[in-house]
Amino acid sequence: MPPFSVQNQNYSSSTNGGFVKKKSETNIITINVGGQLFQTTKQTLTLAGSNTLLSTISTTNPNSNSSIIPFIDRDPEIFSILLSLLRTGNLPSKSKLFDLQDLIFEAQFYGLADFLVSSLSNPSQFEAFNLERSLILPLSGRDSPSAISTTNSGSVHVAHGSKITSFDWSLKKKSTILTHFTAVDSILALSPSLAAAGATDFSGLQILDLKRGFVRETLNWENQTKSSSTVQAIGSSSDYLFTSFESGRRNSNTIMVFDLQDNFRPVAEIAHGEIYGTDLDSAIPATKLKWIPSYNLLMAAGSHGGPSGVIGNIRLWDIRSGNVHWEINEKIDCFSDVTVSDNLSAIFKVGVNSGEVYFADMRMLGRQWICLGDSRKGYKGKKEGAGCKIESHGNQVFCSKGGDVELWSEVLIGSTRASEDDLDDRVFKKNSIGRLKDSSEFKITNLGFGGNRMIVTRKDQQSVEVWQSSSKGY
Amino acid sequence: MEELNSHSQRQDRIKLNVGGKLFETTISTLLSAGPDSLLAALSARERDNENPVFIDRDPEIFSVLLYLLRTSHLPSTARRFSKQELTEEALYYGVESQFKAAILPPPLSGIDASLIETIRPASDGFPTAFTAGAGDGSVWIAHGGQISGYDWNLLHAGTIRTHLDSITSIRRVWPEVAAVGSDTAAGLHLYDFSSGRRIGSAQWTDSSDPRIYKARVLSITDSSTSVFASFDCAHKENCILQIDKSTLKITSEIGRLPGNSTKTVVPKKLAYLPESGIIFSSAVSSGAFGYSGFIRLWDPRTGEMVWETNEPGSGRSSRFGDSFADVDVEVEESTMFKVCSKSGDVGMADLRNLKDDPWIYLDEKNPSLRNTGGEENNVIHCYRKQVFVSRETGLEVWSHVEHIEEDVESRDFEKRCYRRNYVDKVEHCREKGMIRRMEGGGDRLFVSREGVEGLEVWESSDLSGAVSFL
Repeated sequence: MPPFSVQNQNYSSSTNGGFVKKKSETNIITINVGGQLFQTTKQTLTLAGSNTLLSTISTTNPNSNSSIIPFIDRDPEIFSILLSLLRTGNLPSKSKLFDLQDLIFEAQFYGLADFLVSSLSNPSQFEAFNLERSLILPLSGRDSPSAISTTNSGSVHVAHGSKITSFDWSLKKKSTILTHFTAVDSILALSPSLAAAGATDFSGLQILDLKRGFVRETLNWENQTKSSSTVQAIGSSSDYLFTSFESGRRNSNTIMVFDLQDNFRPVAEIAHGEIYGTDLDSAIPATKLKWIPSYNLLMAAGSHGGPSGVIGNIRLWDIRSGNVHWEINEKIDCFSDVTVSDNLSAIFKVGVNSGEVYFADMRMLGRQWICLGDSRKGYKGKKEGAGCKIESHGNQVFCSKGGDVELWSEVLIGSTRASEDDLDDRVFKKNSIGRLKDSSEFKITNLGFGGNRMIVTRKDQQSVEVWQSSSKGY
Repeated sequence: MEELNSHSQRQDRIKLNVGGKLFETTISTLLSAGPDSLLAALSARERDNENPVFIDRDPEIFSVLLYLLRTSHLPSTARRFSKQELTEEALYYGVESQFKAAILPPPLSGIDASLIETIRPASDGFPTAFTAGAGDGSVWIAHGGQISGYDWNLLHAGTIRTHLDSITSIRRVWPEVAAVGSDTAAGLHLYDFSSGRRIGSAQWTDSSDPRIYKARVLSITDSSTSVFASFDCAHKENCILQIDKSTLKITSEIGRLPGNSTKTVVPKKLAYLPESGIIFSSAVSSGAFGYSGFIRLWDPRTGEMVWETNEPGSGRSSRFGDSFADVDVEVEESTMFKVCSKSGDVGMADLRNLKDDPWIYLDEKNPSLRNTGGEENNVIHCYRKQVFVSRETGLEVWSHVEHIEEDVESRDFEKRCYRRNYVDKVEHCREKGMIRRMEGGGDRLFVSREGVEGLEVWESSDLSGAVSFL
């Protein structure tokens, strides 16, 4: 052991770097963890956040009783890892000797759990161009996943059959609950332990407590036909929960807005539609709801197959006034899936006939769709885009085609002479994802993004695939 | 110990407290980190103070880096830490130059090199082009429309997407800027790697000839001030454009040719010879009647052609019908090396003494290495006075036998002795693709193969790699 008694603790930290200038007051803190002495600075310990064990140690004045070194009866090896994490923001490589569960458990003891989450599963670590298939999470039973939802920290909720399995952010632990539904069609995580779930053949939106496995609340739409109300889609903003309901007789539908901050109190009802007679196209229920924060608009999109092919509409709703801000009716090459990217200020769809990706610039909504592939394919009667999924995350758009995922990214063309190169105003380019060994023939059914991960489920596969970049993986 | 000695040592000594562990070293050890480092800054102050300087970092990694400063090599305990971790910590203490020197491979020697790694980009993993131009062992790989950068430690530095769908030529023209071209899309484009933004482009146009438009770039090289790129129009007319590196303005048009025969097609290989300021250009075409190609040397200052050769058509009659399959220049020695398409022989020519037939063919007396001929698809690359030649999937190297005394004879170009050796093993060649491109950078040789994901990295090593039977 180094002779710490020699040290008079007469140091205080300079503001830059980790080293310390001599001053009358000390900033160095000595801790005895399981018999091993560690020294660090007040600044490092306060990074742990207020009201944690470590910050409490840092705030107790060391001058008053400098002879007493605080003792913590825990494993010193794991503490040294967590101290490195505090100092550098990264886990040292010797952390690989321990199971992540051990680290989480110890981090919880020191009050560093959130710090550990943000260093291991931070959305800023998501590298779209560097994704590799890294994990397979098996699901028990014989049901394939029907819907998934992710949280910001990277935890995943997977609905398979009548069950919902939740994986925590570390993807090391799971819990499974049973629901009333025969199959969950839409699920949305509201917090790591709370999710909204609904089905197209079951009345009401259920708010489920995933930890304890009970229905906290059932939200319904009181429609005029006095029939049941089935859930077609769920979406949320930071304040509101949006649910697209259809009446059990399938002749009316609406989007209900519930207040997330106020116990799911119904706030508004927008986009109410009734079908009279045989005019089925007059009110297509929304099957996708996406909130666009920077525009304060809700995108609602729905489609159905009819005798003249698939038709649908995409509307942007102002939820305060209940008015449609912009809408487009899809008659030719209707979307198979549609999403909106707030970062890119654009709506993206994949055409059901062509299977090509289109975008519409939110800053110039009067314009038509711009096809990013061969637009002529849209006029053929084929359904190449059927079942394709499209999702945006960060500055990228991900589109599944069969068993593969395409990544669309914008290329920033700096020079003003873009027209000289025959380039459009905005250039989006397609990239493939994964190496040869990662390809799979099973069709992708869901795409999700959370933390630094992409989550993929496939048809007839009782498992969930996790894609992340190798360097940042644990 | 002597009184005087111990006294002076005490003055020179310094104590450091790193994360609660006490270290004692000398000021001269800390100063060897370099004047701008954190450690040197620490040693410069408070020499009189008996109290150790406190650094709030991990003591175990510090002990590794202190060992590095003391002995200038890494201890075996360094293996407990990842490359990334050590690099970050070395950066923190400001000892990255010592760290680099200790961790980088020894000088690349073709006769003693082994495949140490295959870099695989996460998606579209087939390299279409790559550049190791920075010279520190880092490499930028163009795969499809993306460029992935790998730093001197071969750690992934980032990936950017360009507007091109298939980058077929790339050159790192500034530390953070790549010049890219494609054989399917027009123009030379410069991309900033850190922002992923296109910062400029150059197109070949001619106001008097409307056919000159949408010219594609086939090869790129650069000098310290200019980028040179060979442009090819749809009707095959071609030239080499000299583009100023900072203004991106076209400064001159060199060697405009109609492209209507194999002797005038666009150059697919360009090299800048800094010693003479000459541009080397060559192209090889292969068809039913064998290979044909040309080599031309241009002076960009005058725009004049300095020398040219065409094969078949010139050269010794004994070599008729054995035109070259690939050619490259050794910049350091002003030598040109070619590999013959039919015999597989390697010929060299002195760039300072070019004549009608300057070629000298290298002899290999070892009967087991005699060329069997008939192998096609040769690639030749000169790096650090060594000539790497690929034969389909196999890789060989021609290296210069050094003379102890620099006598007159060894300087004589014609009597220079080269020996041929295989770089790879027989097992390497199986189930591997044909070698498509090779490039040296730093102390590494990068090799890409047809239809194979990833880029091979070959390095020399001073470790024996002994395998224990116990």
